[in-house]
Amino acid sequence: MSYLENNLKTIPTGWRKVLHLNWALVLLLSTVASVGFVMLYSVAGGSLEPWAAPQMKRFALGMGAMFIVAMVPIWFWRNMAALAYIGSLLLLVAVELFGTTGMGAQRWIDLGFMRLQPSELMKIAVVVMLAAYYDFLDIRKVSRPLWVLLPVFLILLPTALVLRQPDLGTSILIIAGGAIVMFVAGVHWAYFGAVFAMVVGLVAAVFSSRGTPWQLLKDYQYSRIDTFLDPSRDPLGAGYHITQSKIALGSGGWNGRGFMQGTQSRLNFLPEKQTDFIFTTLAEEFGFVGGMGLLALFGLVLAFCIASGISNKDRFGALLTIGIGGTFFLFFAVNMSMVMGLVPVVGVPLPMVSYGGSAMLVLLLAFGLVQSAHIHRPRGRL
Amino acid sequence: MSLRTPLRPLARILKARQKGENPDTIERENIRLRHEEMHDRSRLRAEGRLLVLGVFFIAAFAVVGVRMGVLARSEPAEPHASGPRNAIMAQRADIVDRNGRILATNLQTYALYAQPPAMIDPERVAAELVKVFPDLETDELIALFTGKRKFVWIKKRISPEQMQQVHDIGDPGLEFGPREMRLYPNGRLAAHILGGARFGREGVNSAEVVGVAGVEKQFDDALRDPANNGAALQLSIDLSVQASMREVLYGGMKLMNARGAAAVLMDVKTGEVLSMVSLPDFDPNTRPAPLIRGLASDSPLFNRAVQGLYELGSVYKTFAMAQALDEGLIKPDTIIDIRGPLRMAGFSIRDFSNYGKELSATDVLVKSSNIGIARISELFGGERQKAFLKTLGLIDPTSIELIEASRIRPLLPENWSELSTMTIAYGHGISGSPLQLASAYSSVVNGGTFVTPTLLKQTEVAPGPRVISEKTSKILTEMLRQVVVRGTASFGDVPGYAVGGKTGTADKAKEMGGGYYEDKVINSFASVFPAYDPQYVLVVTLDEPSENSGLKPRRTAGWTAVPIVAEMIRRTAPLLGLRPEVEPEGRDEVLLTSN
Repeated sequence: MSYLENNLKTIPTGWRKVLHLNWALVLLLSTVASVGFVMLYSVAGGSLEPWAAPQMKRFALGMGAMFIVAMVPIWFWRNMAALAYIGSLLLLVAVELFGTTGMGAQRWIDLGFMRLQPSELMKIAVVVMLAAYYDFLDIRKVSRPLWVLLPVFLILLPTALVLRQPDLGTSILIIAGGAIVMFVAGVHWAYFGAVFAMVVGLVAAVFSSRGTPWQLLKDYQYSRIDTFLDPSRDPLGAGYHITQSKIALGSGGWNGRGFMQGTQSRLNFLPEKQTDFIFTTLAEEFGFVGGMGLLALFGLVLAFCIASGISNKDRFGALLTIGIGGTFFLFFAVNMSMVMGLVPVVGVPLPMVSYGGSAMLVLLLAFGLVQSAHIHRPRGRL
Repeated sequence: MSLRTPLRPLARILKARQKGENPDTIERENIRLRHEEMHDRSRLRAEGRLLVLGVFFIAAFAVVGVRMGVLARSEPAEPHASGPRNAIMAQRADIVDRNGRILATNLQTYALYAQPPAMIDPERVAAELVKVFPDLETDELIALFTGKRKFVWIKKRISPEQMQQVHDIGDPGLEFGPREMRLYPNGRLAAHILGGARFGREGVNSAEVVGVAGVEKQFDDALRDPANNGAALQLSIDLSVQASMREVLYGGMKLMNARGAAAVLMDVKTGEVLSMVSLPDFDPNTRPAPLIRGLASDSPLFNRAVQGLYELGSVYKTFAMAQALDEGLIKPDTIIDIRGPLRMAGFSIRDFSNYGKELSATDVLVKSSNIGIARISELFGGERQKAFLKTLGLIDPTSIELIEASRIRPLLPENWSELSTMTIAYGHGISGSPLQLASAYSSVVNGGTFVTPTLLKQTEVAPGPRVISEKTSKILTEMLRQVVVRGTASFGDVPGYAVGGKTGTADKAKEMGGGYYEDKVINSFASVFPAYDPQYVLVVTLDEPSENSGLKPRRTAGWTAVPIVAEMIRRTAPLLGLRPEVEPEGRDEVLLTSN
């Protein structure tokens, strides 16, 4: 359905593309990443090693990759969507196989200069694949059951593989990212309503079955749920992260304790302080104001993605932009909720801030796609 | 609606043809309009969807923001003073004795660790630390503090004085982590019963304490179970009795030049172990590592009372006597032929000295005649003997609540021959632990019901299955009393407590197999007091004793184990609440004669 190729005349070419980059987005991403560097510097006790310096290198590398991806016309990426999806899927399978034959950890593949987590790549590949799918699909067929089942399968296949690792956080993000694309593509409300009702029904069944002979979960699983709902039940065990991170947020107050003055993270009260729980350090050292500042930055990134998506008349470009923006949103929303004890601890990093190469690199590649869609968007009416 | 508009409306096409225009342009125009229409509709829908998504995003932002505000407003509690610390304190339940006195408890101490990146002057810190902890090496510390590591454990447990001294070094790179430490305030007193504990999984702020041996390991889950709410584990041990038993046994072991010793004091009705000592022992606060070479039985960790399997010798004669009496095969005054040596299957059974041609059954026990008891055992034979010993718990591992006990299975003859039957009657060719001996003695003297040995305080114990008749039990106890009054255990008499018992002197089997040592023995004395109303059984076993005050070394139980038991009873009976009483007279004549 894409009619981009007909419209080449108004699309910038050559070095003019650089001018049409969404520079505001580049600036925003750099700011967010810089917040990350500062926090990593702080949790390392005022040292670039071991986290801040490698993170900076990866950011530079990722930025370079983003520019290259952005320069390539978006229709090329659309044509590569299926290939990227299948490639990511194969990598996931490879990780599964090598993991079981004892090549070390199961989640990543060693590329020499960095370790790549195929599950991170998959989050984006699913969005790209679904955007291409709905671009290809006749709009009138979007809500037909058969044509709804196919993308559901495309989402669930990698989810199952990631769940086997096991990585609950990433699985949830893959499903939610895919669901956002399907939702924006216009799949009928009824499907989402049905899935929502099923989930609610399942949760209700699980809870109401407790203590009855047909109890659906094991007792220890209920006990975990209880601990999530009330972390103070088990302050040393499963509730430990949350209790400590809530204390950190409380101790930060409105203005925070000041840069490098955080106690929780520096005194090793918090595990994972440089990855999933880095937001606690920020909130403790810069308080509510700092936390809201970061939230605002994230909000702006999301807003730019939505604005770019709305103004993009190319269906693939628009869906891709919204899907990637949505995935980005899920990342930080889930992470922040997790740290603040709103949802269970599932292991989702704070995008662009948490220490970790794969997530950073993959996100920047994704924003490269967003930029490419932005540069190569159709201008004027057909 | 517009989709239903025909692409080639007949009226317009006819009109166009009339005007001479190309009607295809009309179709093309309509296709284009339809496309745009579709496109606009899908965009409109997409924008609607985006609006919903946007509302969702904003709602999520609001939730996160509000939550952040709520948390930021919450009381900025100092992390150190928060709940988890209190939870650490009550993690493992205490262990107490039968009167509620502490045997094992927890103590708040600190672990010392370093964070080299935060350290100001690593070399000074290393030098100062070595002053506080002389066992550390300055060079190694400097290497650790200047290396790449961000976190280094220095000491897992430090005392308050050491903590203060480290505080005074005043370097921000040195940190303390709270530790709940297991403390055994009585030191070595009940070392083998308690076992010991160590740190399991360790974090900076807390460490798991896990039992490694004894009741600490046996009841590990219960001690750690939060559901028990820190309720103390109450043992049957009496701390005062344990203390005096250990003291006497230690002195006796030294006096008798023994390698090791064990003592067990048991309530004959409930099977409660009131005291159990194994020497040499250790301090559970600093539990030593297991021996790497040599025999496990030489380690102080080895619990001789439970794990030590010995051929205990003549103390087993009591069981053969009990069986023969109970089955009505003999009476106390039945005359037994003791002419020796008794030859059987190329092996000759001898007595310690020549007791003449014949003895009454009572005197077989009193004089401890091997030939006499072997003759008696012929009356019931091997099969019944094995069954009887099984009912006394001498064939299977004991069920006492010690993790070590379940693996200890008595050694039995592969082929229970006629000769085995005879030797087992006087305690050779079968092994047992002092604890098993004590519980078997309890079962035969308490009126004849089986007792289950236990380390937990019992409130009420129903009598176990009957082992022998009450009458046999009474006769047997009186025979044991006679052993002390006029037999091999004459040093065992303690005025007022009517001690009865049976001695046992057995050649020590070589640890690696291959026969017996010539001059090494195991001496035991299994005693019961007071004989007219048995309350307690006390067993003492000595490993390789030798009493050297005479012209030549004396290695019979009557000279070694018996005086130790007498001293123990003299000291512990008042602690147990027994008053010295005058023995009822003429009991022996009533019980030990047929008419």
